[in-house]
Amino acid sequence: MEPLRATGRHLAELYGHAAELFGDLPAFASRKEALSWEPVSFRELYERGLCLATALIDLGVEAREHVGLLGDNRFEWILADYGVQLCGAADVPRGRDVTDQEIAYILEHAEVRVSFVETRQLLKRIEPLREKLPQLRILILLEPVDDAPAGVLRLADLLGRGAELRARGDRRAEERIAGIRGEDLFTLIYTSGTTGVPKGVMLTHANMIAQMNNIRMDIRCTDRVLSILPIWHVYERVFEVLSISRGCCTYYTNPRHLAEDLANVEPTFMGSAPRLWENLHQRILKRAREAHPVRRALFHTAYFLAHHYKESVFYLTRRHLFLKPVHPVAEAAGMVFHALRWFLLLPWYGFFNAAVLEKLRLVVGGQFRASVSGGGALPREVDQFFNYLGIPVLEGYGLTETSPVIAVRTEKKLVIGTVGILLPDTSVRIADLDTGKILYPDESAPHLGRGRQGEIEVKGPQVMRGYYKDKEGTDRAFHDGWFRTGDLGMITFNDCLRIVGRCKDTIVLSSGENLEPGPIEARLGQSNLIEHVMVVGQDRRFLTALIVPTQQAATEFDGKALHDALAQEIRERVSTAKGFKAYELIRDFRILPDNFSVGDELTNLQKLKRHVVAEKHRELIDSMYPHETGGSARKGGRR
Amino acid sequence: MIEIDRELLNAGDQALLAIMILIIMFGMGASLTPRDFSDALRRPKGVIIGFLSQFGLMPLIALGLALLLRLPPPQAIALIMVGCLPGGTTSNMFAYFARGSVALSISMTAASTVLALIMMPLLLDLYASGFAKQIDEAMLAEGAETGFVIPHINIVISLFLVLLPVGGGMILRRFSPGWAKTAEDTAGFMAVIVILFLLGSVAIRHGALFVVTPWTLYAGAITLSLAGFAFGFGFAALWRVEPRQQRAISLETGIQNGPIAFAVILLSFEEPLRSQMLWLPILYSTSVVITSSLVTLRFRKTGAADDAIFRNNRVHRRLFGETFRTAYPPSVIPRNLKRFHESLRRD
Repeated sequence: MEPLRATGRHLAELYGHAAELFGDLPAFASRKEALSWEPVSFRELYERGLCLATALIDLGVEAREHVGLLGDNRFEWILADYGVQLCGAADVPRGRDVTDQEIAYILEHAEVRVSFVETRQLLKRIEPLREKLPQLRILILLEPVDDAPAGVLRLADLLGRGAELRARGDRRAEERIAGIRGEDLFTLIYTSGTTGVPKGVMLTHANMIAQMNNIRMDIRCTDRVLSILPIWHVYERVFEVLSISRGCCTYYTNPRHLAEDLANVEPTFMGSAPRLWENLHQRILKRAREAHPVRRALFHTAYFLAHHYKESVFYLTRRHLFLKPVHPVAEAAGMVFHALRWFLLLPWYGFFNAAVLEKLRLVVGGQFRASVSGGGALPREVDQFFNYLGIPVLEGYGLTETSPVIAVRTEKKLVIGTVGILLPDTSVRIADLDTGKILYPDESAPHLGRGRQGEIEVKGPQVMRGYYKDKEGTDRAFHDGWFRTGDLGMITFNDCLRIVGRCKDTIVLSSGENLEPGPIEARLGQSNLIEHVMVVGQDRRFLTALIVPTQQAATEFDGKALHDALAQEIRERVSTAKGFKAYELIRDFRILPDNFSVGDELTNLQKLKRHVVAEKHRELIDSMYPHETGGSARKGGRR
Repeated sequence: MIEIDRELLNAGDQALLAIMILIIMFGMGASLTPRDFSDALRRPKGVIIGFLSQFGLMPLIALGLALLLRLPPPQAIALIMVGCLPGGTTSNMFAYFARGSVALSISMTAASTVLALIMMPLLLDLYASGFAKQIDEAMLAEGAETGFVIPHINIVISLFLVLLPVGGGMILRRFSPGWAKTAEDTAGFMAVIVILFLLGSVAIRHGALFVVTPWTLYAGAITLSLAGFAFGFGFAALWRVEPRQQRAISLETGIQNGPIAFAVILLSFEEPLRSQMLWLPILYSTSVVITSSLVTLRFRKTGAADDAIFRNNRVHRRLFGETFRTAYPPSVIPRNLKRFHESLRRD
């Protein structure tokens, strides 16, 4: 049975349709105590949204105006979003971890006149910036307070005002809704500044509605979604809207209460980052290590059986990683082998699945039907662990610029090592990094060019309209109308998208932090001890570096002394005192014996070929991350 | 009649089997608390329907199968005895995976285990005495000195003996829940081992038995559980209990406590009858693992929608307060819940 879903030509219509369809079902729940949560129904939310929208119109918010929305996950955030959408405006969201500099830039660049601010603390940071932001007229505090600071409006007052106006017959919100067009922005999201200033990604109602129509996940109104990722990212946002459109209740949790809330809410669905799965993986392994030897043995037996059993199931259902064309005979032999293995393991797996694995699944609340992982690559070992355990982890891939989902695994096509199949209406092509030649789809190549690596380029209804007030940046982001993702990937032989790495220099840490290695390397390169340096850390928890010392350093120091001198140099040059952020600090490094050479590690223009260096020194890099499970081996969906 | 030239299980095997049964029954006790028995009284409707299904339908199904398949008297008595057994602990696990009510399953297991003391001798007398008479006549005709009657007293005594370790397990649970958990898990594992052990020892010494066993015996052993699931489900649906309870009752009806049959046969019957009777519960215990797995898979599918609603409601009440009532759009309510939904909303 197809799940019941609300839809519309734009978000405001979708919100209204959801209120009609799901009425009194709880839409969002906020935690007061572990076992005391406050629900708000779809109808209530929509009605309060209309009141807020009316109040905003009354304050002078125009259709298509950009309204600031600064804060993290909480019910009032969604309410504010409803207010903004229902008055035909677009929001400019950002989390509390924003820097003052970014606030100033974003609010000015987006010409924000009215902004929601979550907390008083955040308000205090904005006050001194107001001098530089003459157009910023109105601030509205989201958190409930008894009395707001002077010159700041309270959300509750606006709701009251709106309700009063509507009671008197004010229907301006309805007029605004009727005027919304698909190509209007629903949000303007500023991405973390990868190079210099943040870029405002223009996402339209049509973008989001396309995501709603094309994401075929079986989420229905009997599901429970636990929300933990920052809501201002479009990845989390798409789940919030998906939950609204399917009538399921979203429960806001936070890292502090996650374990408790997993147990109490028994979520059936969750959008998550790889970090969560890595933590759960570690927790389960730790528990197994500390268990009674008999239980430990049972655990290992159970996982061993599950691994081999599920591997065969995946092969038989053609869900294995399919990177090369396979001869039919070899494939038939594989089929026979896996069918036999499946049959032999079935009874044993059945028993251990019931007796041991189910208890492990309870660690994650026990009711998970599936979970999506995105915002970074899921380490292969962790990926396998949960999928073999029987908790389907659907890894997805996308960027803010693609609102965000380009591809996501489905349960039917859950191929570990890939980010699944493309969404409907979405096309991907693979372009050669140097020449721009299209490698896939290529009529002249065998298998259309499947298995060839290159930059992933996307076309589809989810691709952004462009960067706000940045024609040049927008033009650079597109290649003959195809959006350039900056990620290196390929199409597998069972038509899944596989992410191989990055073609841009930007490093995305496993925490989700984006950073440019360039400035750090430039700073280190100024040292007369360092000839070449490459910063690494893609999908890792922290940065490290590979260093080629100068001739001078190599003769002056030897062995340990050289190491200490370089450590000293790194500490001094890349420090928070020198303006680097905490996550930009280099935590470890290795010295490379040989210099980089042009044509191998360097281009003719002396530019670093990062993937070559990373490939060549993979083991050396891995040795700097003893507690992590090979992030560099495979890189998956980032935001 | 199947000829079994030697004892199906020798003295050593029998001793091992006895120890395994002891462990299983002890583990079963370790999974129970007095609370489970009092809970059984607090949800009388489900338990009573379960009781009627277990001790009313199941023995009748067994009798019907014995007659229909024209089973030889010893096997017919064995089949009826399996039909009269109380529910096994594995039914709780299957109920869990079949999205059934585990609480009801536990209550039914607890209640039927105690009631079996009265019901088993009574039902055997009711349904098996005809077959016993046939054996009696055959034995006398062969010139035996004494005839055969169903050893009621012995059966009651052996049932008591089997229930002793259950009591022991409950006492352990009272004083050391940690060890009780271990005992419970061990018993679960043992339940599988016991079947493999019995099949193994039969295969080694009486390999030909698998071939010479008439198909009717296989059919009886397999059909008994399947018919139990089907009739149990239909019966529960007739009484309009919730779908989760229907699934629990269905599984409880079809899954019998096999080890009790082994114990009763070993303790109450003489050779050669003992060996002739033992084969059937072995076949039943083996096949029920497979049939109940299949039924469980089926229930997981058909019960997904109503179970999702049940769980969602439960979480809502837990987090939003006991009085919270979740109002779904009508089209979301699955068919098997339709008639309960109105009443669920009213209460």
